[in-house]
Amino acid sequence: MRLKTALIIDDAAVMRMRLRDILEPHFDVVGEAEDGEQALSLYEACRPDFVTLDITMPKVDGITFLQNLLKSHPDAKVIIVSAVGQKQTVFKALTLGARDFVVKPFDPERVKTAANRLFSKA
Amino acid sequence: MKAEYANPFIRAASEVFAHETHLQMTRKGLELRKTPLPSRPVCIILGITGPIRGQVVYALDEDFAHTVARRMLPGKLPAEVKRLTNSAISEIANMITGKASIELAGEDKTIELTPPAVFTGERFHMDFLNIPTLSLSLISEAGSLEINIALTEGSS
Ligand SMILES: [Mg+2]
Repeated sequence: MRLKTALIIDDAAVMRMRLRDILEPHFDVVGEAEDGEQALSLYEACRPDFVTLDITMPKVDGITFLQNLLKSHPDAKVIIVSAVGQKQTVFKALTLGARDFVVKPFDPERVKTAANRLFSKA
Repeated sequence: MKAEYANPFIRAASEVFAHETHLQMTRKGLELRKTPLPSRPVCIILGITGPIRGQVVYALDEDFAHTVARRMLPGKLPAEVKRLTNSAISEIANMITGKASIELAGEDKTIELTPPAVFTGERFHMDFLNIPTLSLSLISEAGSLEINIALTEGSS
């Protein structure tokens, strides 16, 4: 079976590497972007099955990217992975259409579960 | 500057360091300064906007920065750890500030953080706010961290 594909969006290289290490045995990480602007063109180029999305990033932040992405791809699957975990921010992201919100620092299992849940048929 | 800004940062730093590096951070000192100008060679600057606003400047020694990166990246090659050191300490600062600001602003407020900027060495004569600063120092077995909190309450 073909692995589901993922795009990792985070301005911190250390976080991108860590997320890649967590996801890679189970998913095919097809790209990494370090801001919301780069992420949008990369999304169009590789059409991943889901993305992990940081919020605090230069140029275009995660919330703005999320709004733009869902305008053109309403079915896009997005898991937020962010250090800004206030209720208001979580609420806003989920209302906009993010599927899950993981607060940094996180346990690897939490990320894996969030990703698997996107594709479970339950 | 309110002294009660210190505790959320102490708690957040302890939690983030324990989780990310398995280092136990304890409070060593607290003093009032005129600006958040750092007194260690590697510094990370973050801006906060919202009901609480200003700058938080983290500072540490180069050796400790490498130690933090190494501990965040177990199993990675030394060259890779070196390349990712700035990224590692930026992300630590981002996580501490995120956690502390939730406590400072309250769960129901929205706070925004600017992406962290790292500076090393001589480039220190730059844009530090001229606002009273709480300077916290935290210590672990592997090194110490200075957190300069220059925040004020205000409408955004
Ligand atoms: Mg970020």
